[in-house]
Amino acid sequence: MQILHVEGLTKYFGGLAAVAGVDLQVEKGEILGLIGPNGAGKTTLFNLISGTYAPNAGKIFFDGTKISGMKPNAICRKGLVRTFQSCRVFPEMTVFQNVLLGALFGAPETKTWHQAAAETKEILDFVGLSEFSDTRAGSLTLANQKRVELARALATKPRLLLLDEMMAGLNPTEVGEAMELVTQIREKGITIVMIEHVMKAIMNICNRIIVLHRGQIIAEGTPAEVSTDKTVIEVYLGE
Amino acid sequence: MISFINILLNGLLLGGIYAITAVGLSLQYGVARILNIAHGEFIMFSAFITWMLHTTLGINPLLCLAVAGPLMFVLGYLIQKFLYKTLKDKTPSPAAFEGSSMLLAFGLLFVIQNIAVFIWGNNIEGYTFMAYSVYLGDIRLSANRLVILVLAVLICALFYLFLTRTRPGKAIRAASQDPEAAGLMGVEINRMLALCFALGALMAGFAGVLISLAYQLQTTMGMQYTIIAIIVVVLGGLGSIPGSLIGGFLLGIFGSIVSGIEPGLTMAAYYLLFMVLLLVKPSGIFGR
Repeated sequence: MQILHVEGLTKYFGGLAAVAGVDLQVEKGEILGLIGPNGAGKTTLFNLISGTYAPNAGKIFFDGTKISGMKPNAICRKGLVRTFQSCRVFPEMTVFQNVLLGALFGAPETKTWHQAAAETKEILDFVGLSEFSDTRAGSLTLANQKRVELARALATKPRLLLLDEMMAGLNPTEVGEAMELVTQIREKGITIVMIEHVMKAIMNICNRIIVLHRGQIIAEGTPAEVSTDKTVIEVYLGE
Repeated sequence: MISFINILLNGLLLGGIYAITAVGLSLQYGVARILNIAHGEFIMFSAFITWMLHTTLGINPLLCLAVAGPLMFVLGYLIQKFLYKTLKDKTPSPAAFEGSSMLLAFGLLFVIQNIAVFIWGNNIEGYTFMAYSVYLGDIRLSANRLVILVLAVLICALFYLFLTRTRPGKAIRAASQDPEAAGLMGVEINRMLALCFALGALMAGFAGVLISLAYQLQTTMGMQYTIIAIIVVVLGGLGSIPGSLIGGFLLGIFGSIVSGIEPGLTMAAYYLLFMVLLLVKPSGIFGR
């Protein structure tokens, strides 16, 4: 079963095609890794799928419904949500309020304040942030801010979660914890697409990997296939 | 001693007005990124509606809070929806929007002011309301100014609760901290911006009613209140309601000290304070 289907997606910035005719499918329940050198168009692809940018050409279908052209808030409510590469928590709000916001506004069905608060508590437990519930989000460490973002995204009850470099800047212990968390999220039935530079994470938890270079897909396959692919090695190690 | 307490109390009475004058502007600039130079015109318009309803129909000015306030809310909503939203869609970048929206506000200032001059003329108007004194020990306070202070603080407190405890309030605060992330979390940004601007106009409406209770009115008085609001916002920090209250009271006490020395210099002293602040600490005394 496909949960996401992207057809001929193209986005120009000035004369430059950041994403050039990308076709991709995401299967329900998988963890798909998205890798590529800097400037390959990975984040732009996420921005297109989540509705932040409108594509110049191409279509995006989420669970059979066309979502290209929809506003980000509407896409979020359909169950497709993303996190940011640079942490984007609401710094002046507490951790609890950050996550509550996702539960109140991002979920497909409207909840009472009480329900949303109960869910927020549950999610904070799940990601291991309960002790920081009343801390101002801006004062947390990077690793914990990333958890807040993840918790906030989970509070919107997504079916597809786009993670943008969740492990960047984390130390090895934190990377291990984050990998564990991502696997647990998948076990909850949430499909995941992740952009990642931390190869250890990508190789260990992804079912499938797509390699992007200059806005185009240059390789696709299991971690083992991709890591031995000639073009991929060329792109990463230099022509 | 008595005169010191007197100056302090007068400062607080003045500060209440200043605070409620600033709350709306602070919200509009802090969240919607619109520096609404026409803010004072909304205050003036609301004050004159109150004056008209009171002098011609004999309606209690306090009841006008329920008339002029919502009227300004609707006006603000329509202006954001049809003018600012259109402008924003046509402006290439948020930075360019800040500039062009200020020009639009300038236009609004003249349009609203001229409509007011057309309807009500250019004379100094006013009415008397609760024009008697109450005594706090040896200190004499005018009743209407005390009412203004109490209502201003009450309205600010209710507004603060609205922003911190309710669903739309939460969305507004999220939008002010990171509009893009808020949008991706399911907040409808455009609706929040319209609501924000309308709420700013509502606060201007309330401020206008309160001002009319004790002060002289003139259709050209708007700019003076806009300037005061900007100074208070700079003092107290942008987008923060407690900041506006503190800033309002600080400016009120400062004004009351200056006018104790030479009343004619109050406005000049405000500008001086404003310039010094901009040079020394542009992010505001309580700004980060």
